[in-house]
Amino acid sequence: MNVIETFNLSKYFKDKRAVDDLNLEIPEGVIFGYLGPNGAGKTTTIKLLLNLIKPTKGYAIILGENITKNKNYLKKVGFLPDVPSFYNFFTAHEYLDTIADILGVNKVRIDEVLEIVELKNEKRRIGTFSRGMKQRLGIAQALLSDPEILILDEPTSALDPQGRREILDLVSSLKGEKTIFFSTHILSDVERVCDRVGIIKEGKLILNDDIEKLKKTFSKRVILVGVNEKYKLIERLKKEDWVEEISLSTDGLKIKVKDIEKAGKLIPQIISEENISLYRFELLEPTLEEIFLEVVL
Amino acid sequence: MIWKLMKKEWKEFLKTGRLYVLLFVFLFFGVSSPAIAKFTPELIKSLVQGEDFQGLIIQMPLPTWKDSFLQFFKNLNQLIFFVLVLVFIGSIAEEKNKGTAQVICALGVDRKKFVLSKFIFQTISSMIFVIFSYMLVAYYTYFLFSDIDIYSSFFATILYLIYIIFVLSLSIFSSSIGSSILQAGSIFFVVFILLNILSIFPKLQPYNPITLSSLQNSYIIKGVMWSEAIRPIVSTLIISILLLINAIWHFDRKDL
Repeated sequence: MNVIETFNLSKYFKDKRAVDDLNLEIPEGVIFGYLGPNGAGKTTTIKLLLNLIKPTKGYAIILGENITKNKNYLKKVGFLPDVPSFYNFFTAHEYLDTIADILGVNKVRIDEVLEIVELKNEKRRIGTFSRGMKQRLGIAQALLSDPEILILDEPTSALDPQGRREILDLVSSLKGEKTIFFSTHILSDVERVCDRVGIIKEGKLILNDDIEKLKKTFSKRVILVGVNEKYKLIERLKKEDWVEEISLSTDGLKIKVKDIEKAGKLIPQIISEENISLYRFELLEPTLEEIFLEVVL
Repeated sequence: MIWKLMKKEWKEFLKTGRLYVLLFVFLFFGVSSPAIAKFTPELIKSLVQGEDFQGLIIQMPLPTWKDSFLQFFKNLNQLIFFVLVLVFIGSIAEEKNKGTAQVICALGVDRKKFVLSKFIFQTISSMIFVIFSYMLVAYYTYFLFSDIDIYSSFFATILYLIYIIFVLSLSIFSSSIGSSILQAGSIFFVVFILLNILSIFPKLQPYNPITLSSLQNSYIIKGVMWSEAIRPIVSTLIISILLLINAIWHFDRKDL
């Protein structure tokens, strides 16, 4: 069952199409990585989903509710903005106490979420917090109402490696419990924690699938070939129209082909004809970065 | 929900120290207005008693309870007015600017209630401070002058309370439209100056909220005249409601 589904969701700002005919499907319980270069429309999508801006056209169904007609679903959604904003004069506990009042949440939950983000014993005012601490407090606030969906906008972008690891561990620990919409431009973060990925470019969704399926789909086109005479084989393969790209790596030649069936038959044949020794022949799984660069560039 | 949001406003009011600023201002002017009215003539007399002023005769009328309240309303309409505007003008603009409005609205809080809670909180707290300050002035006026017209002074204060509703609704409106405190303040003062300019046209005076501030003095000097106050009161309340509706309408459609 999809907990988030958008139907031609669009937002235009004067002459710019920030989000254009977006059709997303996010099943329950997954960690969905929403990838895109800066300015691609990630934050605009999130603001549309949270009813912070009105769509120019289209709509979304979140937890069974049409967001253009109803806002009740927001009670079941936790949100961490890209730059978390707080009332800096409060301590973490006072701040969450105020939010708990507004949400009607049991106050016991405050200590629970502060424990999760390791801020339970922090007595200083939020204004004195580091960026990482603010990020963790933002996550605590997002978790306060024990929401069904968590929307995290660039949660690791401004953090040091230690802070990033903490946030990613926290997100991973929620796997299966909640549906997480994880917007970022850091590919390794998505690769580490997400099950499913959507790639947006200039407001348009250009890819939306499970990471494993994507890797399998893209892997069908790259072959790693280990031979004793690399350059001889490169010269020979350059003449073939089914070869798209050849690159050298420490393990051998990475050959990107148009037709995997044909390449599977012809590469060994060519190697044999050229009297070259073959010691490795393998279909490669691309990294998410390679997939991203391929679809975005 | 409005009550919960007002509680948030109250916590913010306490934590930022705004409560103490207003408490000090209203307390200070509540106590000092009668004292200034009582002792200013004596102070002037004592200043001109030196050798340099020999032969100079100064005749000053004896101060009365009216001078005490005229001084109080002068302070309310000048310094206290500015302090109130400064304390409340950023209430929405600042939250939009800092992103806290985004966080609160993403919790599912109705935007109309977000604006209304601020207006109601500001109105109630300002009214409490004004009444508290009025009680201080009344007490010290009676203490220093042994005379006071409670009826006139009380209804003059009621006019100020109605005027404050207008000031706060204009502040909320400016804050809802402006995207920074500076913008909100500029909108507020442009509208306020415009209304002051319009007050020179006699035909517009009965409908101008600014008229209420001059009527307060008339009430003290001449006594309560409801016939003169009805039209400014009604039009001030209508303008305040329209400003508030506009503020809500604008914030409801604003991209956060």
